[in-house]
Amino acid sequence: MNDLLEKPAIVPTSTAAAVEIRKVSFSYGSTQALKDITLDLRENEVTAFIGPSGCGKSTLLRCINRMNDEIVGTRITQGEILVEGINIHHPSVDVVKLRRDVGMVFQKSNPFPSSIFENVAFGLRMRGERNNAVIAQTVEESLKSAALWDEVKDRLQESALGLSGGQQQRLCIARTIAVKPLVVLMDEPCSALDPIATAKVEELIWNLKHDYTFVIVTHNMQQAARVSDRTAFFYIGELIEFSDTKRIFSNPRVRKTEEYITGRFG
Amino acid sequence: MNQPHIFHEIDNSMTGLKDKILLMASLTRQNLERAIQALLTRDIDLARMVIGDDSDVDDLEVKIDQQGMDILIRFHPVASDLRLVITSMKTAHNLERISDHAVTIAKRARKICKSSEPLETNIIEPLYTMAETLLRDALLAYTDANTDLGEGLKSCDKQLDAAHKEVVALLSSRLENSEGRAESLLHLILVARSLERIGDLAVNIGEDSVFLSEARDIRHDKRKSSDLGENPA
Repeated sequence: MNDLLEKPAIVPTSTAAAVEIRKVSFSYGSTQALKDITLDLRENEVTAFIGPSGCGKSTLLRCINRMNDEIVGTRITQGEILVEGINIHHPSVDVVKLRRDVGMVFQKSNPFPSSIFENVAFGLRMRGERNNAVIAQTVEESLKSAALWDEVKDRLQESALGLSGGQQQRLCIARTIAVKPLVVLMDEPCSALDPIATAKVEELIWNLKHDYTFVIVTHNMQQAARVSDRTAFFYIGELIEFSDTKRIFSNPRVRKTEEYITGRFG
Repeated sequence: MNQPHIFHEIDNSMTGLKDKILLMASLTRQNLERAIQALLTRDIDLARMVIGDDSDVDDLEVKIDQQGMDILIRFHPVASDLRLVITSMKTAHNLERISDHAVTIAKRARKICKSSEPLETNIIEPLYTMAETLLRDALLAYTDANTDLGEGLKSCDKQLDAAHKEVVALLSSRLENSEGRAESLLHLILVARSLERIGDLAVNIGEDSVFLSEARDIRHDKRKSSDLGENPA
């Protein structure tokens, strides 16, 4: 074989699991939203959750940092979720710390009504950081990582609410990564953005996955195909298929997956 | 996949693409049949018709590529839909080359017809029968997503290759005492060569049909397995 062909162009990513979801079932009151879900989210990979509305993908996403705890009447009825090997429902787990380790970016950008700087510094201050030099450096690094620094460096003290939708979403990503989480959960992060802003967020995810583990819920099949390494397809609370993204979008094993991604559902 | 798309325009576009392939396939087979008939019956007008009709096949190849591009741009197909678009564009390319070979045969037939010396053109007929069968089966494999048929073409093509070798050897041996028929014999050798190439192109269509129905790439399977034998994983 030619020498040029012997070396892989892309070094395979780690196969270690940052998050292990083991036989998880979840209910909203008497309505079962997730049924016996088992899957691993590998470190430094982007995993996409896809499926029709109401299939449970956002519910599962919110289980990973216990956001569903805030909804009365909901509960995991069986199974467990491990983050870096630790059961997130163990009594010793501090939920605030869990949500720092497992950050979340929402569908609609939600900057605080304060300055750009303070938005990014918020998590650091909450963590107890008092050294202003450390805070300033981390804010700058986070904004640079979120590809926003050049656009806001001269107006850090201005209100974050004055930024465009795409900038606000990248600010929220900067705020999330400022506290150095292990996992970043994204719930339809680009659904309200124009194609340019969407491309910037996708570029961001692609560049940041070397440092973080991403999970993205999306209704945009092309986005899942573009940014994710592996894709999980959910339907009525069940995990129907979970495989390499290339496999899912070229030759899914399960007929239901094929019907969904090719637009034949109904 | 029989279930229709929710957005029916996707089905309309996909059906339109397949219909164009079927039309192109019909024209290509007709060109090939007429080219051989022109050769066997010394019909110069039929040979000219084949040469003229090839532009219809060329136009269809361009239209299929345009429609394939249009589907990719508009609908971002995935899975079996994506495979259908890719396979159709490749099949169109293979059919265009087959039609080019029909033109080559027609041109050689025209030259042979102009020669006053008689020639045993029927030597070529078994090769045509085999090549035509290969082409027919390859197109059936594409339209019916028949994997067995698509995979079986390679062994049929080997028979065509062997028959081609025999015919070329026979015609070459006659060249020695050709007595003014040398040029026509050489034309006939090139006709045989075109038929052998048509078999190869039909095999390509069959391989693509397997990819279409099962997403399995069987191209260069022989080489792949020998590579594995030399360098076991």
